[in-house]
This record gives sequence, C-alpha cells and structure tokens, in this order.
Amino acid sequence: MDNFELICPAGTPAALRAAVDAGADAVYLGFRDETNARNFPGLNFTRQDVADAVDYAHARRVEVYVAINTYPQAGNLGPWQKAVDDAARLKVDAVIMADPGLLAYAAKRHPDLRLHLSVQASAANVEAIRLYRDAFGVRRVVLPRVLTVPDIARLNAEIDIETEVFVFGGLCPMAEGRCSLSSYATGLSPNKQGVCSPANHVRYEQRGGALASTLGGFTINVFGEGEQAGYPTLCKGRFVAGAGSGEGPAYLFEEPTSLNAMDLLPELKAAGVRALKIEGRQRGKAYIAAVVRAYREALESFAAGRPVPHIDLQAMVEGGTQTTGAYTRAWR
Amino acid sequence: MRDPDVATSVSEERARRFETGLSRAGLGLVPKLGRRASDALLARLLRLLADRHPRAFEALRELQDARVLIEPVDAPVALLMRVGPELSLHALPRGADGLGEAAADAVVRGPYARLLDLLEGRIDGDALFFRRELAISGDTALILALRNTLDGEDEMDLVADAVSIAGPLARALPVLRRNAGPVLDRIEAARRLLPPPLRRGIERVEARITGALPGTLPGKLPGMGA
Repeated sequence: MDNFELICPAGTPAALRAAVDAGADAVYLGFRDETNARNFPGLNFTRQDVADAVDYAHARRVEVYVAINTYPQAGNLGPWQKAVDDAARLKVDAVIMADPGLLAYAAKRHPDLRLHLSVQASAANVEAIRLYRDAFGVRRVVLPRVLTVPDIARLNAEIDIETEVFVFGGLCPMAEGRCSLSSYATGLSPNKQGVCSPANHVRYEQRGGALASTLGGFTINVFGEGEQAGYPTLCKGRFVAGAGSGEGPAYLFEEPTSLNAMDLLPELKAAGVRALKIEGRQRGKAYIAAVVRAYREALESFAAGRPVPHIDLQAMVEGGTQTTGAYTRAWR
Repeated sequence: MRDPDVATSVSEERARRFETGLSRAGLGLVPKLGRRASDALLARLLRLLADRHPRAFEALRELQDARVLIEPVDAPVALLMRVGPELSLHALPRGADGLGEAAADAVVRGPYARLLDLLEGRIDGDALFFRRELAISGDTALILALRNTLDGEDEMDLVADAVSIAGPLARALPVLRRNAGPVLDRIEAARRLLPPPLRRGIERVEARITGALPGTLPGKLPGMGA
C-alpha cells in the first residue's frame, strides 16, 4: 500500500524550510504577484527565492510545486505565461493551475512539466477531470472541498489520475474559482487578482468590548468580548437575512471553522486518495511547523498500522472550532 | 521553532520568561536616555538587524512610507516603526500623550512577551489574533506586510541582537542563558520554603525589576509561587 503524500504550504522561504524540516513530502508556493491565489502583502517568493527553495527541498528529497492558479486577464497573459516558463526553468516538480488556456500553454511549451489541476478549477466530476487529463495531460487533480468521502471514492473508481484532498486549514465552502463575493465587496477577486477579502480593504474596530471586522466598508462580523475572532472573509460573516425579520445576525454560508480530517485517514485511503494537502500559505512558519509535524506523526502511525494519535491543533485554528467539512456530510 | 502545542520544559520556559522580563525592563530604560541617544541606540540596533537579515530589511525598505506602532500593553514603552525608504525605530513612553497612535498608520497591541515571540517568529500571529491575545487597528495590509516580512526570516533572536550592541553584556548572555534555567529552578525551590509575606515581597521587587506595570505581571507558570 503506497503511503499518502503530505503536501504543505509555504508563503515565505522560512516557512518552506519549516515545512521541509517538519516532514513535508512536497511544498507548494507561489510567485510574488497576482498569478497565485494567495497574493498577500509581504508574502510569496521571488524567482531567486524559488531557486533557493528548490535547492533546499531537493537536497532533502522533498518536492516543490508552484501554484499559478488564478485566471489570466484578457489582454494580459504575460505574467501568467512567464510564471509557467520560470517554474519550468527553475526545475520545480509540478505546477498547479486552473485556467484551460494556461494549461494548454504549459502542455505545449513544457511537455515535461508535471501539471496538477488546482482546486480553483472546481473539477468535481468524472467528465471534467477526464477532459483535463486528455486535453492537457494533467496528472493530478486537487478536489474541491464540497465532496463527501463516498463521492471521492466513486470518482476515484472511474478516473486514472491521482487525487489530492485538503485535510487541514481554512475552508472555502464555495465553488472555488467561481466565487464573486470578494469582487462584489472590494472589486478584487481570488480568481483574477489572487486575493479573497484583500487586506487593504480590511479594518478591525473596537466597538465597546466587541471587535468588529469590516471589508470594503461592510461590517462582516462583530465578535463579542472573549469570543474567538476571525478574518472578514465574506462567506464566513454574520448577516441579517430578510430585513425586518426580527432575527439577529447569523452565519448564512459557513461558520469560521477550520477543516481537520486527521480522523478520516482510513476512509480517505480506502477512497483511493493519493495526497493530503494542508491549507495556509498565508499563515506563519510556527503554524506550518506545528501542523506539518502533527500530520507527519499521524501519517507515520497510520502507515505502521497503529491507531492515529489524537494531536491537539486547536490553538492553530480559525474560529476556535474544527470540522471534517463536507467529507462526512452531504453538501447543502 | 516553538508553538503553543510544543511543550518546552518548565525550566526553559522560566528562563525565557526571565529573559523577556529583563528585555522589557531594558526597553523601559531606552526613552530615559533622551530622544537623541535613544534614537541613536535604536538606529544602531536596526543596522545590526539589517546586516543579519538583509532579505527582510530590503523588503521593509521597499514598502511605502508608513508607521506602525507596536504597543506592549504591559510595558511602559511603545515602539514606533517607520517602514519604507526612511526605515527607523523610535521608543515612546506609552500612553503619555497619545502621540504615538496619532502618528501611526496601524497599531499592534498585545502583551510584551507575545509581541516578542511574534517578532522573533516563535509563534503564529494569526492564532494569537484569533484568540484575541493580539489586537490590531488601522491599515491591515501594512501589518500583514510587516508580519509576513519578519516571519519570512528564520527565527530571529532579538534579545541577543539587542544585547550585542551593549558591549560586555553580549559575552555574558550565552552564559546567562545556559545557566538561567537551572538557577531559576533552584531559586524557585527555595522560594517555596519561604513564609508567604516574604514571598509576596520578593514578587513585588521582581515586578519592579522586570518593568511590569502594576497589576499586569504575566501569569505564573505551574510550580511558581502564588
């Protein structure tokens, strides 16, 4: 039985070293621009950083994947195509992409470059995945976080490319790559500019003992005294549904919980999953070291046939609660 | 690297707490040198940090001109950091006239020990923020840029760096660090044998030495005096 691969995030060179040292099989990262879906201030890698990262990781038999997973803007393909060319030149082990035009470019210009389909493509059915395989030679698909474990098992029974699933971190409950909530509030989107709820539109305000988070001038949430705070991602805000209904604000889309599927390793293995992905390129290296170390320990126990230990990652999660997300419930 | 889920020994934690207290006391003294001398001292510290962490400091200089107030809520002094081409650091008495906050584009507030852990990359800033141990206001993008830039360095050792500009103290620090844990363990064991009034008196003196404001002494570790 092949072991799971553990795919870990890095937003900075120090985070990459932390992930490698803590037991990653592969580290995924992005260039310092809008070509990736974590285009945050002070985050990401210059070309030289990527060259150094590849050297560091390969010396330790760890792979490096580059996410080029936003959608190029009409008339401005240059940055995306250059990102693909540079990733190939820097000898990364795979690129993670969503846009069909860019996949076609990569497949044609760099036939030896391994292509992974980003979660941003939201490929959630057999026909879509086969199309990406046949048309571009995609070797692995990162599945959207809206499938149950039985869904994943059925999918894997019918496709012949690898699947990678998220096991830890922030949850995106939307059809990824198609969400326009952030664009609506700020004019910037995760799909084009690589920023969901961009920081330059975020403000935190004390309102008495409460903490209000706002995005583009809209109040997204108000956290009572002592309540866990969260980032003002629109799908995790509290809103009043139906003016005049008399109901107070509530979570309409998703509560600010974090995914943790560590208890589902046997089910994910039985469902034919090849790789497990940790979310959080925007998080600090202390988070990455702690989460990767915990998952490495869990995977070693699982591979050896021992019970998966309960490792407390509560201190790391947004919203202070953890969930197995859609894996164990039908999506609504 | 350290995080909340990785237990360090009580001895190591006690030594870190002691070191944190001392560095906070040292910071408290900086404005007392007078504006010119304290600015010169902090400029020297920045130059030293820039030599040791060139990637981060180049990135800080490339940011747009802006000011971040770093305000430890349990120390008498706050730091105003100017990022951009005119990178600089100033120490201000906390809460004296509100000048620091008025001059800042963004503010980060939290207990001194947490801010030090954060600046040194020992702890995850998001997790601290989610738990409300850290408060931020103003330009969120600026704070993120600063956090991400500093976090992109391998763990910093600001206490050692700060001490290294203080001449002979630099040579004493490694010895102090090696011995602080065991020595503090022995002091703690002896302290438990003291009568309560004497114990409380010693704690008051300790609070004065480490510069903690009244009523804001950090929580005690298991096994420390009541």
